[in-house]
Amino acid sequence: MSSTGLSVSPRDPLEICKQLVDMAIDAGAEQAEAMVESGRGVETNIESGEVHTVQSREETVFGLRVIRQGSKAFVTANDVSERRLADSVKEVLEQTSVIPAEEANAFAPPGDITTVDGLYDPAIEEMTVGDSSRLAAALAEAVKSRDPRVTIDSGSVSFSIERSALVNSLGIEKEKSATMAGGSLFGMAVDGEDIASFDYDSESSCKLDGFEAALLRTADRFTDKCIAGLGAGEGLSYRGPVVLSPEAVAEFLLSNLMGALCADTVRKGRSPLADKLGQLVACEAFSLVDDATIDSMVTSSPFDREGVATAKTSIIESGRLRTFLFNQHEATLAGGNARSTGHAAGSASSPPGVGPSYIELAAGEESDLLASDGGPVVLVNRFSGSTNAVTGDFSGVVKNGFLVENGQRRPIRETMIAGNLFEALRDISALSSERSLISSSALVPSARIENISVTAG
Amino acid sequence: MPASGVMDTLKQAAASAGGFVELRYHAKTSRSVVVEKGQVESSSSRSVAGLGVRVLENGAWGFASTGSSEPADVKRAIESARAAASSGASLRSEAVADLPEAELATGDFSQPGVDEIEQRSLEEKVGMARKLEEAVRGSSSSVSSATCGYSEIFEEKAIVTTDGAAASFRLVRPELRLQAVAEKNGEMSTGFEAVGTTGGWECLFRHGDGEYFAGKAARTAVDLLSAGHPQGGRASVILAPSIVGLLVHEAIGHTVEADFVQAGSVAAGKLGQRVASDLVTLCDSGASELEDGAGGTIPVDDEGVLAGRTVIIRDGILESYLHNRESAARYGVAPTGNARAWEYADEPLIRMRNTYLEPGQTSLEEMIASTSHGYLLDGPRNGQADATGEFMFGVQEAREIKDGKLGALVKGVTVTGIAFDVLSTVDSVSDSFRWDLGSGYCGKGQPAKVDAGGPYIRCKALLGGEQ
Repeated sequence: MSSTGLSVSPRDPLEICKQLVDMAIDAGAEQAEAMVESGRGVETNIESGEVHTVQSREETVFGLRVIRQGSKAFVTANDVSERRLADSVKEVLEQTSVIPAEEANAFAPPGDITTVDGLYDPAIEEMTVGDSSRLAAALAEAVKSRDPRVTIDSGSVSFSIERSALVNSLGIEKEKSATMAGGSLFGMAVDGEDIASFDYDSESSCKLDGFEAALLRTADRFTDKCIAGLGAGEGLSYRGPVVLSPEAVAEFLLSNLMGALCADTVRKGRSPLADKLGQLVACEAFSLVDDATIDSMVTSSPFDREGVATAKTSIIESGRLRTFLFNQHEATLAGGNARSTGHAAGSASSPPGVGPSYIELAAGEESDLLASDGGPVVLVNRFSGSTNAVTGDFSGVVKNGFLVENGQRRPIRETMIAGNLFEALRDISALSSERSLISSSALVPSARIENISVTAG
Repeated sequence: MPASGVMDTLKQAAASAGGFVELRYHAKTSRSVVVEKGQVESSSSRSVAGLGVRVLENGAWGFASTGSSEPADVKRAIESARAAASSGASLRSEAVADLPEAELATGDFSQPGVDEIEQRSLEEKVGMARKLEEAVRGSSSSVSSATCGYSEIFEEKAIVTTDGAAASFRLVRPELRLQAVAEKNGEMSTGFEAVGTTGGWECLFRHGDGEYFAGKAARTAVDLLSAGHPQGGRASVILAPSIVGLLVHEAIGHTVEADFVQAGSVAAGKLGQRVASDLVTLCDSGASELEDGAGGTIPVDDEGVLAGRTVIIRDGILESYLHNRESAARYGVAPTGNARAWEYADEPLIRMRNTYLEPGQTSLEEMIASTSHGYLLDGPRNGQADATGEFMFGVQEAREIKDGKLGALVKGVTVTGIAFDVLSTVDSVSDSFRWDLGSGYCGKGQPAKVDAGGPYIRCKALLGGEQ
């Protein structure tokens, strides 16, 4: 990657972390935890089908958490000068003086070590603005040549490297380097007066080898999805089955489910799954794992936002809920045998939350989920709607959807579906045998769900 | 470093740069506290400052950012942006046109409220959040949990361009969010209230104090426990200013952003055509029109253009798109001051500011009284819209209207339609006005603080609910 000569800190992130922790302890903190991310990258944006803005950026960000007299606070900044570090230590300690103490406040102790390979590729460090621009032009051209009716509203190709470290006063010292090549497309098909719903696609990789070919396949997928939405007509109202595409399974069904599986949601009384450990919460074919330890995945990391080693976690097995996701704070609050599952989420610029890394839903056995006895089935490629995270009630519009009826398949618009997420998990009647990787963060099959309310406009 | 202190550095860098260069210093400090179930869940502070540099060279844009505003680093950032522009120039089929003349801003345009909120102690802010969270929890035995979040964003900017902009300003955007979760016999429901503004606390609480919003969030959650579901299908609906705001932002505003128009949005080619009922006049403004404190207020955009008022639809006729300087050149019009960047390391994109429908002449009471059957919808839960203008919003509170009278509360309501079609069915517009989306953030690759609002309007749309 070409050097821009900008003011990214030349200092080692681990050294900055150690300095911050020492400064906080010297200033009166009982415990301190610092995370530093130092990154640089190049990116070329596509607008209206053309290479638009070409950019380079560098930034070093730190986040500091302290506990003093049982009170916890957080500060972050993008300036690692001595003056800013000192001001930040002072500011975060001042915050603790007005925050009530909480017994469970504690940072993570040193523990297991996880090794994840293939997160860093030196070839990506050599990428320049010229490389991102050439690939962005090729990506735009690939869409245009596959079908000129598709217009790219926006897109990008980027290469980046990030070095990060995390240190706490209990003895954790972790660091890693990771590279990423990424590309995305957002746009729609326009054919005269006929405008299809927008669609998008993306590709990302830790390695340069194979990235260009994968990116150009993204152009094909994106174009085909956009074109499929042309000619959409009226849908049909009924109560019955719908099929969620892998994208809808990941971005609607699982993203809402994962919220209910985080220990903070459970503790706050906002998860209907709170008292369901060991019970059936989904159909028996439903098995869900989270795994941040897979080599060469952009979502992988050997440690989480609190420095705890990551691990493969089986969350739901054959429909039965096996565990919630914990960070250190939530595990302490839960008490008993609860331990952090390595799911402290976030970056240096925010205090740790709880969240998944990379989820896999087991494949089913069906090859054609749209098969029916002639009755209607709606295929939901994307869901644009509202889900009440507490109750699970959802309602929204089917995007790039199709109605299959009497063996005929046609695109539809202005069709809404409504139901309850947690009932839908139990009403899954089949999962497809094929799975797709969605946004590099979920490997999932399609799902057929019964008893959904479908309303046509 | 205060924006005023960096202005001379930027002016000197621009004077010696040559070609077109845009220099933007942007410092942002955010503070937030979240209280939940009686505990302070988080207290945090975030400071981000630096310089974003854009150059237009050989018909292509280059952008670079640096966390420093030292003269040597500014110079290096300009060189990096130039190198970036050069790498893109040969790959464009058509050069970006020279930028049109614009009403470029010079001077200081700071907004009220900054000093007042800075002077209030952290103790006072944390105390308020704890008190309001307790008020939500204590308002009903059915409320099982409550959350109160208070946050504030301080911004300082200095924008200098080689063709004459030299503007600086400070502003502050405080926000308050309250959520109640109610539970009874295994059923759960939520009530959510949020306010956000550009200005001081007096402005933040101009529609009611914290206790008012705490009580409303709790009441909504409890009332929804016993609410039924609406009948799905096409219905006559009266949209409250919060839903009108979401409609004009998500379903109309995005489709008239000139970059989206260029890509083929539903608004392309419709200038001068009727797209709504003649009762509809829809605007976007950098100023807080009609009522103080709109949350998306900016005096100057991130290209240094004065951020004035743009009439998008006048009396039902589509009159203008929203532009930055590049798109204004392409369409042969004046820039509308809609170029916005979230932080210093982000390039300016075409974004909305405060988007609204102008009020009419009917009272809400008359509107309800003349509705034989329909629903009054208030409190958006979220919303999305499409290139086609098709939109979908979740609704927190929906009340059935029967024979001109407000009836029972229903829950789980979603409203959808094609925006221009829905606006064409508007047959009544109220005489009241309110900004009601000030706690909202718009996402378009990068976030933006926006606001939206309007009067109550009556129209026809598709409601989602039970079959």
